[in-house]
Amino acid sequence: MPDRVVELYSDADALKLKRKIKIWVFALLLAAAAALAVCSAFAATATTLTAEKAEVSAILTSTFSGWAIIYCAIFVVGSTRRELSHAATLRTSERERVEGKITFNGERLRIKKSISARGVTVETADGAKKFWVAESRAGILKEANASAVYISHGYVAAYEAAK
Amino acid sequence: MRFLKNVFSQLHTFVLWALLSAIFWSWIFTLVTDVSPEKKISVYCYVPSISDVELSARLEEEKPEGIEMVKVRSFEYVMFNVDYIENGDIFIIPESMISEYDELLLDPDGGIKIYDCAEKRGSADSFIGYSDEDYYLFFGANSLHLEDESAKKVAELLIGLD
Repeated sequence: MPDRVVELYSDADALKLKRKIKIWVFALLLAAAAALAVCSAFAATATTLTAEKAEVSAILTSTFSGWAIIYCAIFVVGSTRRELSHAATLRTSERERVEGKITFNGERLRIKKSISARGVTVETADGAKKFWVAESRAGILKEANASAVYISHGYVAAYEAAK
Repeated sequence: MRFLKNVFSQLHTFVLWALLSAIFWSWIFTLVTDVSPEKKISVYCYVPSISDVELSARLEEEKPEGIEMVKVRSFEYVMFNVDYIENGDIFIIPESMISEYDELLLDPDGGIKIYDCAEKRGSADSFIGYSDEDYYLFFGANSLHLEDESAKKVAELLIGLD
């Protein structure tokens, strides 16, 4: 029975990532607007007696909400964007089929402003070959019991699983 | 662990944001809580301790017509901007320092005694902590509120406070 090719990033996955980015951007904009409104309210309602406390409250609100928003923008939206771009590259680039026993070699790759990945070794007839698989897709490949993988730019783009 | 790693990798961004946030909101609050010198009476006090915010609020309760704000400041505040004090409307200065600041005063010889060291009694002493010498109240030489008498009215109010 021929094996079927399973894409690590399907159309549905790409759509899911796009939707995740949209929802997060909307939520972060909403949070920023709410923080701005709260700080503006502190400023608008300040009197001589309350001005100092209101100013400290506005600075603290702005600082802490800003930190949370910056964190999510960089580490949630940013990483999802990079994953989406990685998925698009894998789906459109040329691939090489590599057949053999697939194991995770324990290596981890984390390049700044790129995705996190885990090392995969494929024991082929010509010897062991090392590739990478996106961290978020590693679990899928691990449980797939794949007999072959499709490689694009050194990353696993798809695998063959028994039907 | 990963959260901390992420935070430290962007520490410069977080620190920069905190600084920008403090500068921006300090500026906004200065804009919102300050008015032009024409609508403000500035009181400068050369005293060891002062509840400046509370005293400002108390004086504002009975502010003269045309005045929107009464700002009471310690002389320490002047360290940040000398220009402020030159336009002060009212000064409270200890006897020993009068000669040092006489250029700022309308009439350096005509101060109103506001704290009597011998009797340990003074005006607004629930707001102002005086040291062991007599204190005097003066009007500023460059005050914008001498003609309309609003500086005088605030001074009278201040002298009458417990």
